[in-house]
Amino acid sequence: MLKRELTFLFALWRANLQGAMEFRVSFLLQIFGMVANNLLYFAFWPVFFSHFDDIHGWTLNDMLIVMAIVSFSWGIMTFLFGNFNFISEVIANGRLDYYLSLPRPVLTHLLASRSNVSGLGDIAFGVVAYLLSGQFQPEQILRLLFGVCISGTILLFFMTLVHSLTFWVGNATELGNLGVNALLTFSLYPITIFDNTARFFLIIFVPALLVGSVPAQFVKAFSWQGLVQLSLGALVLTALAITVFTRGLRRYESGSAIQVEV
Amino acid sequence: MRPFNKYWAIFKIQLLNVMAYPSELLGRSFSIIIFMLVFASLWRTAYGIAGTDTLQGITLPGMLWYLMIAETIELSRPRVSTTISRQVKTGELAYVLNKPYNFLAYHFSTSFADSLFRMLTNALIGGIVVSLMFGSPPPAWGWPLAAIALIGAWALNFCMMALIGLAAFITEEISSFEWIFQKALFILGGMMIPLEFLPGWLRTVAERLPFAYAMYGPARLFIDPSLEGFYSLLAGQLVWLLVLGGALALAYNRGARYLAVNGG
Repeated sequence: MLKRELTFLFALWRANLQGAMEFRVSFLLQIFGMVANNLLYFAFWPVFFSHFDDIHGWTLNDMLIVMAIVSFSWGIMTFLFGNFNFISEVIANGRLDYYLSLPRPVLTHLLASRSNVSGLGDIAFGVVAYLLSGQFQPEQILRLLFGVCISGTILLFFMTLVHSLTFWVGNATELGNLGVNALLTFSLYPITIFDNTARFFLIIFVPALLVGSVPAQFVKAFSWQGLVQLSLGALVLTALAITVFTRGLRRYESGSAIQVEV
Repeated sequence: MRPFNKYWAIFKIQLLNVMAYPSELLGRSFSIIIFMLVFASLWRTAYGIAGTDTLQGITLPGMLWYLMIAETIELSRPRVSTTISRQVKTGELAYVLNKPYNFLAYHFSTSFADSLFRMLTNALIGGIVVSLMFGSPPPAWGWPLAAIALIGAWALNFCMMALIGLAAFITEEISSFEWIFQKALFILGGMMIPLEFLPGWLRTVAERLPFAYAMYGPARLFIDPSLEGFYSLLAGQLVWLLVLGGALALAYNRGARYLAVNGG
């Protein structure tokens, strides 16, 4: 059963990649453009830290790890499950009919049926940022991979959860935009600038700290607290998003929009 | 006068279209709250660590008001590049070209209507957030000067975004240019950090580029208004508008010819 679904997923990803590579110039422009974009965005931190040695213990090096994790996880998710930011649009336009009419898990198929090539640029930048951070001990690399998986899972299912509200509130595209803005913005700043109330909010309600700062701290030094926070956050959010999407699906009314997707 | 009336009418119609969905527009403006909260947390911490009231001649409230105006400019920038590139890529341009209006002037009118309400709501919501956290805004007599500079900044942004959109004549895919342009505004335009914080050589370069006139200039004028600063900013904006406007007209004429060669 699992093997069959994985074969299907790999077939989807292969088709997405082949489709994107058809237009070579556009393909390369998007990848290199995203690397340049991230590089320019990160330029803020060297400028900032040229005026301050550290922000309550956080240095430029820590920001490199944060940037590596967020770029890496965002890149993987937008490349493999690029529809996560368009779920509201699909539901509101009645295009779920297409996914419902096929004998495949609806959510998995929906998420994986779009791929953003620019995600490859994010992945490349993530690798460069990590190499610059100098945290190369084997256990740190393992913790980085774990952190990226958790960060990506939280990103994917937080957005799935927010967009799934479309089943109840109508088109939640704007809410999705707000959600992704909040998640990315708060995740790319050091945890030490937030007070305890803000930290609580940014772990429980908009889990941005679980996407950036907490995995970065975990890469630097192992802690049971970090491991539990990250694992629990990813598990709870995954379960919640799948439950809400599945329940919402029962409320979905067909838009009579069965069509061939090319 | 007649051509002006035509584009004025286009502007008014688009403005009515935009205002037909006020809740959607207001919803979009909530993003500024997120950005201001992050900036407030970061700079409050930074000023606390430095143990000083001013950094590079800017107070903490001044910094937040600066960032509020910069963020308003960023969130209200015309998204004309996406529209133009779509028209080029889908061939919609062939139908637009034979309409009795100038293609660029038409986009200028509709984009300005799109941005105007967004600019007002972003400034209002952002202003409320900063007021609640850091007290009253800079002296009111500088607001009209900043408002004029904001219009100049918008026009500069329009020229640069339209140039990016026209790149679709050559590359079709323009999103990477949009990303890089946006990040250039973030750093060289002073959106994320005032230019005073850049290293000396970079600051010298950045102050002469159009990004600074499209972002840093108006925001700095808002927190530190002076007639001298206003005139100098306006002069710089006009020079860059002439340069970029000329480049835009040239790029459009060449692009339209290129499109005709390929049969539209």
